[in-house]
Amino acid sequence: MIWKHELRLFLRERAAIPALLLLLALATASVVAGLAETARQRAVIARIQPVQAADVAALADGDNPGDAPYSTYHATWNAPNPLAFAALGQRDIAPYILRVRALGLEAQLYDGETFNPELALPGRFDFAFVLTYLLPMFVIVLLHDLRAREDEAGRSAALQAMSRNAGLLWFRRRAVRGLLLYAMILPPFLVGALVSRVPPGQIVAVSLLALLYLMFWLALATLVERLGWKSAANAGALVAGWLILTLILPTLANLAINSAVPVRQGLELALAHRQKVHAAWEIPRAETLNAFYRTNPRWSGASPPKGFDDKWYFAFHEVADESVAPAARAYQQGLLDRDRLTQRLGWFIPAIGLQARLHRMAETDLSAQLAYQDRIREFHSRLRQFYYGYLFSDRPFTRTDYPKAPKWGDGMGGLPPSR
Amino acid sequence: MTPLILIAREKWRLMRRNRVAVIALALVLLLSTIAAVTSVAQQAETAALRAHFQQEADAAFAAQPSRHPHRMVHFGQFAFKPVEPLAAFDPGVDPFTGTAIFLEGHRQNSANFGDVRQSSLLVRFGQLTPAFVLQILAPLILIFLGFGAVARERDGGTLVQLRAHGMTIAALLTGKAIALGAIGGLILVPAGAALAWMVVVHGASLPAATLLLASYTLYLAIWVGGVILASAIMRQARSALILLVGAWLTTAILVPRMAPDIAGAVQSLPTRLESEVAVTRDYRAIGDSHDPNDPHFAAFRTAVLKKYNVARVEDLPVNYAGLLAVEGERLSAELFARYADQLFAQEARQSDIMNRFALVSPTAAIRQASMALADTDRAAHRRFLGQAEAFRYDLVQRLNMLEATDVTAENDAKGDDPATETLSRVSQDHWRSMPTFHPRPSGIETRAKGAGPALGYLVGWLLAIGACLLFAGRRMGNGR
Repeated sequence: MIWKHELRLFLRERAAIPALLLLLALATASVVAGLAETARQRAVIARIQPVQAADVAALADGDNPGDAPYSTYHATWNAPNPLAFAALGQRDIAPYILRVRALGLEAQLYDGETFNPELALPGRFDFAFVLTYLLPMFVIVLLHDLRAREDEAGRSAALQAMSRNAGLLWFRRRAVRGLLLYAMILPPFLVGALVSRVPPGQIVAVSLLALLYLMFWLALATLVERLGWKSAANAGALVAGWLILTLILPTLANLAINSAVPVRQGLELALAHRQKVHAAWEIPRAETLNAFYRTNPRWSGASPPKGFDDKWYFAFHEVADESVAPAARAYQQGLLDRDRLTQRLGWFIPAIGLQARLHRMAETDLSAQLAYQDRIREFHSRLRQFYYGYLFSDRPFTRTDYPKAPKWGDGMGGLPPSR
Repeated sequence: MTPLILIAREKWRLMRRNRVAVIALALVLLLSTIAAVTSVAQQAETAALRAHFQQEADAAFAAQPSRHPHRMVHFGQFAFKPVEPLAAFDPGVDPFTGTAIFLEGHRQNSANFGDVRQSSLLVRFGQLTPAFVLQILAPLILIFLGFGAVARERDGGTLVQLRAHGMTIAALLTGKAIALGAIGGLILVPAGAALAWMVVVHGASLPAATLLLASYTLYLAIWVGGVILASAIMRQARSALILLVGAWLTTAILVPRMAPDIAGAVQSLPTRLESEVAVTRDYRAIGDSHDPNDPHFAAFRTAVLKKYNVARVEDLPVNYAGLLAVEGERLSAELFARYADQLFAQEARQSDIMNRFALVSPTAAIRQASMALADTDRAAHRRFLGQAEAFRYDLVQRLNMLEATDVTAENDAKGDDPATETLSRVSQDHWRSMPTFHPRPSGIETRAKGAGPALGYLVGWLLAIGACLLFAGRRMGNGR
């Protein structure tokens, strides 16, 4: 009864219904935009399939089908996970499609996708954004003057006197507002999650995360109100808190993490890899091949190279990859460390914690990008072994061999194993 | 003029008494200083790192042993994007784009190793730079210091008193605007000092820095006007605050994030895979240089024979294989240029749609103007890519010509056999005489032209706010 009464009182406030409807509209729009973006990404992945097939077919039908090991590019892609619609993350700037050939992988793996950086600059409008940045603002608007207004209107004393338990009264008022905000932001997500077939466990996890984050802001608003300032001062303090927690601390944290974990190994390995590939022309071919056979004993029985030989050419590419492998691992480790430090900071700064958890679950963060690279590495080594089967046994590669090449997606294009 | 000064002075006194406001202002000034100092330090470090890598790459190129020129075509060269000094003020899209491109024959590689791709998602919260402080945080401070400027006088009943003493509404609004504008000026001080530092120490363009400061002055003036306007028209100070915070949230945070979705939906971009496949397909369609009967290359051969006035390829004074390499590179570069132009046009269309959101968000306008003036917008990145491509083409064609002039056809054919391969090599002295990459930053005309439309929007905003203030002042003066 009392709850119903509080609800009616709240809804009679001038700002209440417009604010709630606005939040509902924003949450809905973000879910729609997220679903549209993941659908677009899936459509792009579908769109490239015939293009890729035509490219390979043109090679197979050309005059030099034997060039396949050198000339054939193989497409890889990283389809968005069902939850990606809610947290689009870094998928706009990191490639989710990459084609590779059986030559040195370290010169191909870090290539970028075409994107307009001005579109990426402001950040994405997705559910994670509405939840992290906008929801707290609504908490501030609806709660900053909960008590101060009664004080300013001189009703506080009367209210306290009439209520048997004043603490409970204020709690009820906050709870009504909090629950209504939750009721505005959650259903659009739930609908989106059902449309996108998000696993139930993740739906529950996101719902709980959202609730926890909301409760944090409700608690902060309550705390500020305890100070007994005027409503404008409350609003000022809360907006300052919002600014510090969602904008300033994360940018400072980014600065700190990036200078604590420098990742210049990426550029260094790019330069070193090129040096290594081209140095092969200056050393005896047997030396390169012996190094290759040490890690590829399977092919060590191959006939010695004659003239310009693809055996040697592919061998020195692989040897170059191996020579920069420590740098590649260090580079990846540096990036992983940056991501891990971010996850750890999330325990102290709620906005970071929420974003990090959401993007981890949605597999749209830096770690997910690296996991995709790992799968490309695995696929690339299968490609190499496939072509070596021809090169190192002097078997000619013919038209009919093209379809036999490993395909991305044999258990690797769908859902990636979570890290 | 005295009543104006009086009003302004009174407003300052009130603001000084508002402890929360003073702390907030001090925080923003501190943050602005931290942003300027860290940003300058960071950009100096980035610039040094990229210059170091460029030198390393140049040295590696010059130190290559004697070899066949075509080997050098594939050894290639790295182009590192230099850091424009004003990037410390507004890095724009620089962290989002790659910083290094590998340049080689008949391929156009992507710029790789960009900062954002190498950062955790924290980077998407924004970066602490003077531009970020002025674009996002400064308006909020103006709102909290100014929302009660007029509304409080009305709430407290002092407005009536002031008018009874002969104060006109116009004078009141102007005085309040001067007071709040002075706060805006104060916020600009650390940013201005940072700009001066960049000009004096790092050699940033003085006209660009001046225009930047002028643009941000314009931007903050719009917010000052908007705050005074809301304070004048809303019945209560509290409503003015809510309206202003809502307007800030919408125009500074929400609209800039929604705009890319719309721009991306209206104009899509091809993937890299599609562009590369298209170039390969078109190149294949032109002809096959290995096929003696291919129409395109037969015509090319005839033209070459005619030019040198000989009957057979064997009689040419130069190596025909080198000339074929030059021709092949010319054809593929033409295709790259065609597809790149198409892509740039599509991207420009996207950015164009984005920029139209300046109509509803001054933040969108200042962001565009600021990036363009700092030479860190998309167009500036494209100009860098264009220079890298021109350098790539020139370098590759010099090497191809070297094959034509310095490797005889007879020796060229021996290149595949390890035993005779050394005959096909040319001296390493050639590598040292190849040009190195020195991209030029954009001139002030280019930057101003890029910032022009956005600056136009900002002027429009200021005029509109000014007109609204005038209208509101007259209405307040007439009645109530």
